[in-house]
Amino acid sequence: MKPLRMRALRRLPVLFVALAVVGSAAIAQPKKGGAKPPTPPPKGGDSGEIEGTKPGAKAPAAGDAGEIEMGDPDKPQPSGDLGADLAAADAKDAAVKAEPVKKTPLSWKDILVVVRKPFLKVRRTELTPMFGTTMNDNMVKHITLGGELAYYLTDVLAIGVEGHYYIDTFGEPFDLVARQARRLPTVNKYNWSAALDFHYVPVYGKFAVLDRKLVAWEVAFTAGIGAGQSEVIPRDTKFPGFTNLLIMPNVGATMRFFLSKWLTVNVGIRDYIFYDHFEPPNRAVGMNASAEDAKANADGALINNVMFQLSLSFWLPTSFEYTTFR
Amino acid sequence: MNTMKLSLVAFAGLIALGSAPDASAEGRRTNTLAKDVAVRHRRLLVKNRFELAPLFESTINADFRHVVGGGLKMEYHLSDMLSFGVVGVASTALNTGLVDKISNTLLMADTGPTNPEPTQDQFLQRLNTMPIHGAAYVSLTPWYGKLSAFSQAYVAFDFYFQAGVSFAQLNSDCTVCTDTSEGDPENPTHTPQPKDDAPLNSGGRAGLYLGGGIHVFLNDFIALDLTFRDYAFSDNPSGADYNADGFVGNSPTLGDDNRFIHHIFFGAGLSIMFPTAVKRTP
Repeated sequence: MKPLRMRALRRLPVLFVALAVVGSAAIAQPKKGGAKPPTPPPKGGDSGEIEGTKPGAKAPAAGDAGEIEMGDPDKPQPSGDLGADLAAADAKDAAVKAEPVKKTPLSWKDILVVVRKPFLKVRRTELTPMFGTTMNDNMVKHITLGGELAYYLTDVLAIGVEGHYYIDTFGEPFDLVARQARRLPTVNKYNWSAALDFHYVPVYGKFAVLDRKLVAWEVAFTAGIGAGQSEVIPRDTKFPGFTNLLIMPNVGATMRFFLSKWLTVNVGIRDYIFYDHFEPPNRAVGMNASAEDAKANADGALINNVMFQLSLSFWLPTSFEYTTFR
Repeated sequence: MNTMKLSLVAFAGLIALGSAPDASAEGRRTNTLAKDVAVRHRRLLVKNRFELAPLFESTINADFRHVVGGGLKMEYHLSDMLSFGVVGVASTALNTGLVDKISNTLLMADTGPTNPEPTQDQFLQRLNTMPIHGAAYVSLTPWYGKLSAFSQAYVAFDFYFQAGVSFAQLNSDCTVCTDTSEGDPENPTHTPQPKDDAPLNSGGRAGLYLGGGIHVFLNDFIALDLTFRDYAFSDNPSGADYNADGFVGNSPTLGDDNRFIHHIFFGAGLSIMFPTAVKRTP
């Protein structure tokens, strides 16, 4: 039985191809009698609107307004040659320009042209190495090196994980305050953070660069929950600092520019929100001298760490295909 | 530094690779659309139109005092891409959280010339404000497009970049600054500590201006205008001794505590375009 099935399976494609060839040849043949000569354009009418009725056909009845005829079976079918098609289209355009245009209640404004989105994300994975910098802390500026892995459940919804390593530098005010106001600022630095994120993409669009190249872009909103670590920078280095484990929800928005089917450039702003603990004001021998004591008496404050992020995204699989309804 | 440069080169290389044209498209027969403009029958939302935009603006990186104010932008668009205009803003000043934290810990009264610590008044009264600032600029609008928000609203937008000259009026009024040497350490009235020096951070300033923003057109003649602006000019916001030479000065030869500072603002405005009717491209 098995060999017979195989033979039957082999025959099926041959039969299918043969039917397709016969079918396509029949379609390519002009109908008997050839094409009808073009009828002269109707006289009169008004300009401003374009009507989609076939030449020579009866004027639509009042009750037919709003219907659009998409094809004319009496017309010669396209031959498949691009040059001939273009020539025919030019001739048709010339004919349309020559004839007066009839005004109907139907206009081009009623026709919605839906262009395919240039980039599909559904069931694709986004791998994003990213760079970030502090936006709202003039005392201690952080640079982050990190990345995110996101999976798109639909074209607008994704779930992902991110992780960052922080590098801290002191800003100019840190030194100025110490020298000009004789006050040592109490500051923490951040060591790392990680989060589980959810992304939603409500805005997409396209723009023309210098009236030539079209670039697609979109805006994604992000909300997530994660954890991180901050570390006290002691005002007096003879006293030890301490670290804090932080619960870090985050919200943000990212603009994504599509360069190819597998590469995008992203710029965004993310606000990491957490309750941090700082070094107590009074530290001396016998008073908050140890890290444990200082941590136990630490001052707390709600912090918004707003970061500007720049990243590249690599999309896997590297390509995608449209599926359309029949 | 080498690692940073290598990263930037790799970043640029990847962008170039990703945005390179499809090699298989070369040599393919194309029609005239390939050489056509990107958008036909486009609404000319800015060309030959005068833009009037009441706006709100606030600093985003101030160390000591936020500058918050309202003003007006006037701009004429010579073409789709090129325009020129002026912006002017009247502002008030709000202390940052840093100022509140510092001032609450400072002494109320001066304890003498041996103590370099300023009093609350000496610290606060030397901080300057910016009652008026603005710029004159040329603007380039290289990008325009349309976007869909929540699959409901379809609006046109454009990105623009501006460059020009900035101006600002700075103001400080220190009634407790008893040192009247005015930045001259040889003056007999000069005191050893800079805490009571006059701040020397008032007056008019001129400098550079850079900006970048987006118009989001709500209809044919009204647009939401969001802009980041950088007014860069010489300033000493704290009015204190910056260069650690022991006194506050503003002389290039004796010592100047003013330095070139970027005052970065975020602004939101509502642009009204005149005439209100738009034309279309062919």
